[in-house]
Amino acid sequence: MESALSYLAFFLVFASIFAIATLGLNLQWGATGLFNVGVAGFFSVGAYASAILTTPPDPERLGGFALPVAVGWLGAVVASGIVAWAVGAAALRLRHDYLAITTFGVAVVIQLVALNAQWITGGPFGRQSIPRPLVAEIGAGLLWNLFYLAVVLAILAALYWAFETLVRSPWGRVLRAIREDEGAAESLGKRAMAFRLQAFVLGCMAMGLAGALYAHFVGFVAPEDFLPILTFQIWVMLIIGGSGNNRGAILGAYAVWAIWSVSGGLLREIVPQAEQARAAALQVVLIGVLLAAILLLRPRGLIGEERVVSRHAGQG
Amino acid sequence: MLQLVADGLIVGSVVSLGAVGLTLTYSLLRFANFGHGELLTWGAYLTLAFLGLLLAGAEMAPIGPFSFGWPLLAALMLALPATAAIALAVDWALFRRLARHGNAITLVIASFGAALALRNLVQFIWGTLPEYYTREIQIAIRLVPRDVLGGLRITPDQLLVLALTAAVVVLLHLFLSYSTLGRAMRATAMNPALARLAGADVAKVARATWVIGAALACIAGVFAGLTGQIRPMMGFDLLLPLFAAAILGGIGNVWGAVIGGLIVGLAESFTVPLLGAEYRAAGSFAVLIAILLIRPTGLFGARA
Amino acid sequence: MSALAAREVVAGYEPGLPIVKGASLSVAGGEIVALLGPNGAGKSTLAKAMAGLVPVASGAVLLQGSDITAVPAHLRLKRGLGFVPQTENVFANLTVRENLELAASLAGLDRRAAREEMFGFFPDLARLARLEAGRLSGGQRQMLAVARALLAKPAALMLDEPSAGLSPRYVAEVFAMLARVRQAGVAILLVEQNVKAALELADRAVVLVDGTVRLDEPARPLLGDPRLPALFLGAREHA
Ligand SMILES: Nc1ncnc2c1ncn2[C@@H]1O[C@H](COP(=O)(O)OP(=O)(O)OP(=O)(O)O)[C@@H](O)[C@H]1O
Ligand SMILES: [Mg+2]
Repeated sequence: MESALSYLAFFLVFASIFAIATLGLNLQWGATGLFNVGVAGFFSVGAYASAILTTPPDPERLGGFALPVAVGWLGAVVASGIVAWAVGAAALRLRHDYLAITTFGVAVVIQLVALNAQWITGGPFGRQSIPRPLVAEIGAGLLWNLFYLAVVLAILAALYWAFETLVRSPWGRVLRAIREDEGAAESLGKRAMAFRLQAFVLGCMAMGLAGALYAHFVGFVAPEDFLPILTFQIWVMLIIGGSGNNRGAILGAYAVWAIWSVSGGLLREIVPQAEQARAAALQVVLIGVLLAAILLLRPRGLIGEERVVSRHAGQG
Repeated sequence: MLQLVADGLIVGSVVSLGAVGLTLTYSLLRFANFGHGELLTWGAYLTLAFLGLLLAGAEMAPIGPFSFGWPLLAALMLALPATAAIALAVDWALFRRLARHGNAITLVIASFGAALALRNLVQFIWGTLPEYYTREIQIAIRLVPRDVLGGLRITPDQLLVLALTAAVVVLLHLFLSYSTLGRAMRATAMNPALARLAGADVAKVARATWVIGAALACIAGVFAGLTGQIRPMMGFDLLLPLFAAAILGGIGNVWGAVIGGLIVGLAESFTVPLLGAEYRAAGSFAVLIAILLIRPTGLFGARA
Repeated sequence: MSALAAREVVAGYEPGLPIVKGASLSVAGGEIVALLGPNGAGKSTLAKAMAGLVPVASGAVLLQGSDITAVPAHLRLKRGLGFVPQTENVFANLTVRENLELAASLAGLDRRAAREEMFGFFPDLARLARLEAGRLSGGQRQMLAVARALLAKPAALMLDEPSAGLSPRYVAEVFAMLARVRQAGVAILLVEQNVKAALELADRAVVLVDGTVRLDEPARPLLGDPRLPALFLGAREHA
């Protein structure tokens, strides 16, 4: 019983963290039509930033600065926001698929830094002993997991509320206008660029925050936590939930993480130890096929976009 | 110095061939295909598989100074159509259907998913350990003594890769310039509706573009395997250089992609003494950012 | 029998949203018919539908009496219907010669012979053969586009505003060329904004307003006819 509950808590924490990143991606793609292929990069910037700020001092590496966890999370948001601002300023004024290529490149470079810049990131071994907030007071184990789950859920709820409010505000309506109507985007000129940049930076900040939440739950970060597959997972979550819809984004995160965990667990049960690496590969293939099928069969996702404005107003 | 240039050009040849295929499909099908790198990987592995079948356990007798023998070329000839078949299958199953009612960006996501599936399928079938076409050790020839600009050593395989890349590019140029299909490809990339009015069957032209792009990717993959390792990630690792080269040369511009590929290869090569070998890919990224900031239509691109 | 005809054509870009709402017209061999109408009336859409670029929801397109409504766009040039669209009507990245040779070989013609024949008809193009079409002047582009459409000796030729953006000297040149093409017995459907010039050249005029044909009469007498401005302006007030 306890172990099932513990497993469920684990599952929910991860799913909720991914949901936060998915909300960020939804602000970019769903609300603004920005194509970010570097989700894993921004996620890892947040994770490393918070790790550097909060870990105890380490003579061989930058930091740690042993700051409070809340400061680390704030730092994660700021750091991923700065990186996003630089990327967006360079790529957002170009054709939309150039943003995809640029963010892809950024993620590749961030991965290179994570792997090789030992003095910042700890290289392939990553950064260890990332503090778990209040673990001394609560004690490790199920109780702390539940506590952390509550924290993550509170953040997710706050973010959901904030993004919902944003998307329904005049600001959000402008974003949608920019996305749906090239003419509107053009008539806004430079300001359209500013709106896009704001949405892009805000979205990446959510991803950075998710990365930090991940780091402080797991207790260490390493480059292999942030492979391109993470970007793909977040995308699948958004598409399956239905882009343009924040509730869909959250639902998609839970659904996909459930599919992922259950299929992974099944494979571990069924497949002999020696074949597990291959089985994991097959799992990714199947998820890739699933994504393709959803794109083909239900292009609006399981829930679909809420029609805030009708596309074909005044038909007939 | 000379050595860095030579190394850059060898990597650049692989990037050039891959980027030519990418730029052709990009301009004709109008979306950034994140799966193109996987065609290189599949080309390399399919050649490896056919080589295994052809040799059936026997040793491959090398041709002259090279590390490989005729069976490798035969395997490549078999892998070319097989790689093209994969590209056509993905197009048929995914891209063509999505293009009918989706926008370009849905295609980009789909290509991202397809890439992941293709890459993991390689891992599933062949595992993650690096493979080689031959274990033959090649002795590098010293072309330039050490006291001239740091000297230059190069293996016969590497020289061959350079020469064959040049030959392939020239053949492709002749094809695009003088054959009806090649001209139809250029015309369709420029203006698909007008191409139909001029009598081109655009669906057929698109299929031809996939076949040629995949064949070039297959050759590039084999060259990469011949001068390095065959790994499941080899194509993915080349994706950023490919995009950088294609954008540098201007989307749709074949010669641009070739020059772009060589420049990207050199940039990666010169990144090594500056930042260390592990940061090679950062060279591609620097080229990409520079061109996007300075001249997003590419060095030779006419269209925005 | 008319060389080119549209019968009750309904066509548009999205299902259920017709732009052309049941239009009929016909052009005989050696005849020039001007297709006129206010902006947004659907003239270009009708021409594109007849060329096979826009789906025809109902009705039929006839070429020399046979129904070509279902013939794919890329086969229509070979079948004898040439179309010169309004903008981007040459391949800017191909040379003049490649522009012509491509269409010729796709139509199954000997590309050298077809090209030389067109160079005979348009001597200016012969001079520019090696130039990229993107570097031609507006008038030269129109020449090339028309030459490409004429290569396969079509029974009918459609042109969408060939005079748009040209200086008056070139407009005269293009229209003189159309008169020559008419001499060869080709049926010409000419979409035009330049009403006066079109009515002077054409044999008949069809006026399209809001996707329907409102007038189909001999061209010359329409010069100065008060109904024309009424149709043009009425549509504008309506919109
Ligand atoms: N590609 C398209 N997709 C959707 N609607 C279109 C498209 N092209 C034109 N339309 C619409 O079809 C209608 C008719 O356009 P069309 O170009 O046929 O008019 P036209 O008579 O040629 O006008 P003009 O004299 O300005 O060339 C217009 O309302 C236009 O907005
Ligand atoms: Mg028009």
